[in-house]
Amino acid sequence: MSEGDARDAASGGLVRLFHVSKSYLAGTHALRDVSLELAKGEFVFLTGPSGAGKTTLMRLMFGAEQPSEGQILVLGRNVARLGPAGLPALRRRVGVVFQDFKLLARRTVEDNVGVALDVIGVPPRDRKARVFAILKRVGLHHRRHHHPLTLSGGEQQRLAIARALVGEPELLLADEPTGNLDPQLTLEIMDLIADAAARGTAVFVATHDHALIARYAKRVVRLEGGAVAHDGAPPR
Amino acid sequence: MSLAAQARSALANTLAGLRGSPATSAIAAVTIGVCLLLVGAFALLVSNMQSILARFGEELHVVAYLEPGIAQAPLAALMERALAHPGVETVEYVSAEEAAERFRSTQPARAVLLDGLEENPLPASVEVRLDTQHRSGEAVSALSQLLVGLPGVAEIGSGNEWIEGYAQAVALIRSIGLAIGAVLGLATLLIVANTIRLSVYARRDEIDILRLVGASRSYVASPFLLEGLIEGLAGGLLGLASLGAVWSGVAPMLGGGLTLLIGDSPPRFLSPSASVWLVAAGAALGLAGSAAALLQGRERSR
Repeated sequence: MSEGDARDAASGGLVRLFHVSKSYLAGTHALRDVSLELAKGEFVFLTGPSGAGKTTLMRLMFGAEQPSEGQILVLGRNVARLGPAGLPALRRRVGVVFQDFKLLARRTVEDNVGVALDVIGVPPRDRKARVFAILKRVGLHHRRHHHPLTLSGGEQQRLAIARALVGEPELLLADEPTGNLDPQLTLEIMDLIADAAARGTAVFVATHDHALIARYAKRVVRLEGGAVAHDGAPPR
Repeated sequence: MSLAAQARSALANTLAGLRGSPATSAIAAVTIGVCLLLVGAFALLVSNMQSILARFGEELHVVAYLEPGIAQAPLAALMERALAHPGVETVEYVSAEEAAERFRSTQPARAVLLDGLEENPLPASVEVRLDTQHRSGEAVSALSQLLVGLPGVAEIGSGNEWIEGYAQAVALIRSIGLAIGAVLGLATLLIVANTIRLSVYARRDEIDILRLVGASRSYVASPFLLEGLIEGLAGGLLGLASLGAVWSGVAPMLGGGLTLLIGDSPPRFLSPSASVWLVAAGAALGLAGSAAALLQGRERSR
């Protein structure tokens, strides 16, 4: 597929994957022939057993890895063909919640969130206001001057979510965003993510939590052995 | 991201980096300082020797010592030929009596040598001075060649050989200084590069995270470049201060040794512009070391 074709194809969805496969070792597949599409503002759960390829799929979508086969279009750009300047530009439009949070240990909570605004050039005064607002929404505003290592696991997870959402991304990729949260906090965070989807952000949430999937009743993509086993309404 | 915002962010990250690893930063700065101290010492010696050379240049002239009892006609012809030579500014006749008088006034301690003699041993001479544009070894040699063959000239003196030898010594010391500077500069560059690489390694997680949230290469690299620049500036200032301290403390004690190299003229410290260049060289070393570390340690991953 040419870049022009890819852009044309992308006009139908915010994210499109065409027959994507990923191999780390010859003869084995972390992902096999995955094709799917996410529209603007769509909320999709990605589920499947451990080792099914959920994290690999997410990493491919923000360009941390390249597909072995197939094409990935994110926000109209062919991720595999992005150069040194193109990839950061794309990532500034994508919010990512990592399974291991990936927080900056030497910076405060406020700066961990603020860095996502720094890279898109938000002026300092707006930065402060926006950081405070998102920290208040995730319940961490009172800990904004603390460092991540002084926070509990749940607080660190909320901080990672705040960083992913503060730049109002067009696409949110969240890998187990509620894994360390209690049921009450899980619902609060999921409401926050659903709210982002309602405001036009395409949301792709990887989770094992079937109760959560049932509660929100959104589209579900299930991976098994690296291939798409289900794509549609939540299985009953 | 605006340049001002990026600069602000880079400065904050740089200061955090320097606070995070003060020992390695200090090692880099001290290494640069020591390198510049040695290079600066050579620069100091060469600049003082060059000022001596410039002073000799101003006094450069050719003396044609005359045969005793030279007649008026060949003397006039000699002075006329000398004046017509390209680049000659003045031609002056110095009688034997005037030569003795000059000797007594310029070498009072040795004046007694003349007093014991029945006859004045000093010959009459013709002193030929060149204009500033022609005060070179080549011009002096050409003038000497002209005068040596003229009737009535017994001997030619110019001191040109000594000046040429001194100029060669200055050039040699300058070359040694440059060679040592180049070797030390390269060694310092590697040390600074390794220091920054350690810093990059210690903060690799942070760098990965910044890339994952969309930071550009310049955003990621600028704190490290700034760190190298600051370490280089600190090293440059340290080198200059050390050189100043060594100069003011040790130079007076060296006395005779320095007189041998730079003559009787008062030794001078580096000029303000040379001092600025020395500090700038430190900053450039730090910056180049950082850039080398970033180029070598560039992440292969996306």
